[in-house]
Amino acid sequence: MQTSGKLKWLWLVIGAAAMLVLPQFVTSSFAIDIFIRILLFSFIGVAWNLMGGYAKQLSLGHAAYFGLGAYTSTIMQVNYGISPWIGMIAGGVVAMLASLPIGWLCFRLRGPYFTIATIATAQVLMLIFLKFRDFAWGAEGTTIPNLGSAPLMMQFEDKSSYYYVVLGLLVVGLWITHEIEKSWIGYYLVAIGEDEDAAEAVGVNAPKVKRDIYMISAFLTALAGTFYTQYIYFIDPATAFSFSVSIEAALVSIVGGIGTLWGPVIGTVLLETTSALLQSWLGSSVGGIQLTVYSLILMAVILWRPTGLIGFATDVYHRYVRRKPRAPEGRCDGGSIGRQGSQQAVRRPARGAGRQLHRAGERDGRADRAKRRRQDHELSFDHGISSPGLRICARLRP
Amino acid sequence: MWETLAQAVINGLLIGGIYALVSIGVTLIFGVVKIVNFAQGEFVMIGMYISFFLATQFGIDPLVSLVVSMPVLFLAGVLIQHFLIRRVLGPNDMPQIFLTFALSLLLLNLSLMLFSANYRTVHTFYSDEAWHIGGLYIPVAKLIAFAVAMALSGLLWVFLHTTDLGRAMRAASQNRDVAMLMGINPNRVFAVAFGTALALAGAAGSLLMPFYSAYPFVGQVFVLMAFVAVVMGTLGNVMGALVASLMMGVAESLGIQFVGADSGLIVVFALLLLTLAFRPSGLGARRGR
Repeated sequence: MQTSGKLKWLWLVIGAAAMLVLPQFVTSSFAIDIFIRILLFSFIGVAWNLMGGYAKQLSLGHAAYFGLGAYTSTIMQVNYGISPWIGMIAGGVVAMLASLPIGWLCFRLRGPYFTIATIATAQVLMLIFLKFRDFAWGAEGTTIPNLGSAPLMMQFEDKSSYYYVVLGLLVVGLWITHEIEKSWIGYYLVAIGEDEDAAEAVGVNAPKVKRDIYMISAFLTALAGTFYTQYIYFIDPATAFSFSVSIEAALVSIVGGIGTLWGPVIGTVLLETTSALLQSWLGSSVGGIQLTVYSLILMAVILWRPTGLIGFATDVYHRYVRRKPRAPEGRCDGGSIGRQGSQQAVRRPARGAGRQLHRAGERDGRADRAKRRRQDHELSFDHGISSPGLRICARLRP
Repeated sequence: MWETLAQAVINGLLIGGIYALVSIGVTLIFGVVKIVNFAQGEFVMIGMYISFFLATQFGIDPLVSLVVSMPVLFLAGVLIQHFLIRRVLGPNDMPQIFLTFALSLLLLNLSLMLFSANYRTVHTFYSDEAWHIGGLYIPVAKLIAFAVAMALSGLLWVFLHTTDLGRAMRAASQNRDVAMLMGINPNRVFAVAFGTALALAGAAGSLLMPFYSAYPFVGQVFVLMAFVAVVMGTLGNVMGALVASLMMGVAESLGIQFVGADSGLIVVFALLLLTLAFRPSGLGARRGR
């Protein structure tokens, strides 16, 4: 939604203040638990969204990094007594390193087969950790020793402290996404997501950009893994590498609005609230009801609102509140995906596009001058740029 | 030693026949409609439940219930293609992947709600029968399943190569645009391809019933194997999927025999990752769209 700068800041400050004082007013541990779940899955969704949303590399294997983060910090804590705060960062680094070979393999495939390959890698890691009984406890898993109140070991007496930890994670995730979204790499990602070949043709180093964003996404997902293990005091391969983590990461982003800053958060709020309501109405006696409802929501979103709730809200806002030509200013919101988005993409003279991409390139110190000149030339030569993503590149404002 | 090896290979080939039915379905849909059906395994599961209920309610042998499960799933496939898949066909991957994925989640969890997570088996008079040839042990139920699976694959091959509709499907899979220009009706071809693929999955379910338990998650076992086989064989190639499925069956069986009882899948995934690492051109040459 387009709001003026000042108003946006006002909303942000109000929202942040509300989130900060929330645990002071909500004392029910059930409610706090739901809030923690919402924040945690929002954060995982935000991490997934960086790669799955902006670059459209639809991974269903993020449980691999969730699990690696969880196991790294737990092994360091239980076997060597190292604080999970350090273990969290170490887990992130391990996940980043693991994403290199995994990405090397999986990025050879595109579209649905990339998705399948990512599922397979998460499964392989789960099987490997089932086999490692010596230092990873095999299938039985292990419990985290309860130290009572030990903030240095990421253990707290009250749930609200966990709430603040995961809130902090989410803020970091959103801030990183925001920085990436408005930088040249964000536009490169969207261009890759729209049409990888076309993006490469204008000089986007797609393999490198994808590798980098995959590393960032893996790092963040691993942080969530460490937090979750510390929160539930237990780890085993089935929870750490659970397929449902991979599913939920993708699900919340798609339902909320794929490739948007707030999409994963809004999607998680909807899905987790639905799930909590279902649980309180029906109890947990009926197995499978939660995922049945999730899948129905997902199907409805895909069939009727491929831009997710954010796209829906934006449409409504522009239709009833403020009529405005559909030109998201220098940022790519949900409008860029789906059939509607492609058709509505703004058409601008390609000369402008070349100039803008040139500017984007200038910020990328590593791109050499000659290459940029060639991009300029090619872009201004070709007036019919095929990909909306490239047009979004072109929309980058000075 | 050699006997153990031969036995493992035979076990692998027999189950590989079932994998073949599933992966031929996946590859057929991919070839013609250009989407990956993540829900393929769930249709195997539905086929199994159809056979299970026909067997327990009406005493119909699972192999006979093939004549029910295949048409029912063919019809289901046509309807799903018409009402769901048709709406997301386009250059964008995201809706296609997540629509079939949502369908898979939906069917899996619906069956969990309706049938509970219990394992259900059907005992037939041939379920425990086995032939002993030399030192080798060949279970009859699996042999029948393998034979019928191969026969169905053969029938599909004949259908694709001799009938007009089959030729239209192959044409659509080779070059969709040109096929449309030649006057092939895409909706009809897509519907038949989707229906046929689901009918094969249903057949796999019925064939499995005499020697395998039905439970809501059973499809996952087969669909993972099918995806590996489809990636390893050439995408969209029926023959490639068949051969790769048999190979996967053997690889899994050898893994169970020589690496460890829980290592069948590791061997299969390792093969997939090795293929991706060293023969990416054969796999990535055709864009996964």
